[in-house]
Amino acid sequence: VEIVKWARWLLLVLMGGAVVWSFLVPDAAGFQKPSLARIVFFHLPPAFLATGFLFTGAWFSFRYLRSKEPEWDVRAVACIEVGFLMACLTMASGILFSKVQWLEWWNWDPRQTSFLMVLLLFSAYFLLRMAFPDREKRAGSAAAYAVASVLPAVFLIFVFPRLPHVVNNSLHPNETIPDTITGGPAPRPRVDVVEDPNNPPPPAKPETRGFDRNYTMVLFAVGGLLLATTIWTYRLRVRAGLLELEADLLDEGLDDRGDTAATGVVRPISLHDQGRGTDYKG
Amino acid sequence: VLIVVTLAFASFGTRVEAQIAAGLLWAGLLFSAVVSLPRTFLLEEEQGTGDLLRLLARPHAVFWGKALFNLAQMLGIACLLSVLFIVLVGPSPASPALYVGALLCGSAGLAGAVTFCGALVAQAEHRAALAGAVSLPILLPLIWLGVASTKVALTGSMMAQGIQGMMGLAAYAAITLAAGPYVFAAVWKS
Repeated sequence: VEIVKWARWLLLVLMGGAVVWSFLVPDAAGFQKPSLARIVFFHLPPAFLATGFLFTGAWFSFRYLRSKEPEWDVRAVACIEVGFLMACLTMASGILFSKVQWLEWWNWDPRQTSFLMVLLLFSAYFLLRMAFPDREKRAGSAAAYAVASVLPAVFLIFVFPRLPHVVNNSLHPNETIPDTITGGPAPRPRVDVVEDPNNPPPPAKPETRGFDRNYTMVLFAVGGLLLATTIWTYRLRVRAGLLELEADLLDEGLDDRGDTAATGVVRPISLHDQGRGTDYKG
Repeated sequence: VLIVVTLAFASFGTRVEAQIAAGLLWAGLLFSAVVSLPRTFLLEEEQGTGDLLRLLARPHAVFWGKALFNLAQMLGIACLLSVLFIVLVGPSPASPALYVGALLCGSAGLAGAVTFCGALVAQAEHRAALAGAVSLPILLPLIWLGVASTKVALTGSMMAQGIQGMMGLAAYAAITLAAGPYVFAAVWKS
């Protein structure tokens, strides 16, 4: 317990350190406001985490549909809640980036729009859960929806933003911060080719020099720390969910036996078995 | 039908661009599907016959019965809307085969996905409104593919992209109709 307590403090200190580090890297040239390109540190990692948690939630939902064990539903909700939080962070930082670099809060950029659709998928999942008062029906329908969401999510996250005509129309740069600031590897030497008039060469692609190494290191640091924080949050949420589940099951047990107390009335519990469900016999 | 007629009034005497026309046609199809198709399951619960179906019929049979009925309904709607669209609004397709193919595959995808969503919300509170809210995010990729391929079918240029879009629609429909009954079976009797 002591180690966990210290680990949490360490996580907080490291997160603070990573934020400070993000301000120590050089400004990224080629942006409207180079100093504000740092938003990328708090935009990319949450996007990856949101995707990861969404698919993990779908996997847990699949496990629930196969086994009908409520614990899997608790895990799926926890995953999708944390993923939703990360998706909101991604969207908020993206909108901020859009305003400072592209001068508009919303540009209908294909990637921005496809991520908005992913947020809608998350929202519909929670909407569906809220519509069922019965625990089993809620869990079953939500799990089925989470599994069904995988196909549109794969399309919106992995396929759509990479379609050639979408890439060409997107403001999202693929080589955001090229490795020029800190003197990265030199570009490949050009090889002169004798041009054949019957077989013209393909149009030259812009030279890519990779992501700046300083930025890469900070991105990994923020990503790793954010991953640790989200896993911690997920575990807390699972614990809370399992406690809620236990209370629900206790309630259902009492209802089945006809011992239901009126709302607001404390139910009798046994003193001998520490509240595991038999009546107090005096 | 209302969308097409309103558009015909609005665009009287002017030519609607293919991109806008394709978007409007698919908006009409989307709203028709979201409003009408979930009714097949919602009616069962409202009439109290849902429990009887759960007792007597196999989940796969229920899903396929509803999906095929919805497919027939969707094809009828698509046929009516597209004919009205061409007659009233005007952009006749440069590639009729691609146009019909996109509508067929899109209708199958819409039928599969909305049948599934209708089944999920059938026993929920405020089910009619919820059916639309839950279906829309799942249908957005399908609508995008439909708009892309219909736009190509109307203009006749960049056919490879249009055919890719139609293949995407067919794949979406196939996956939805193939996986739908299994996921549906897992929740139908709970």
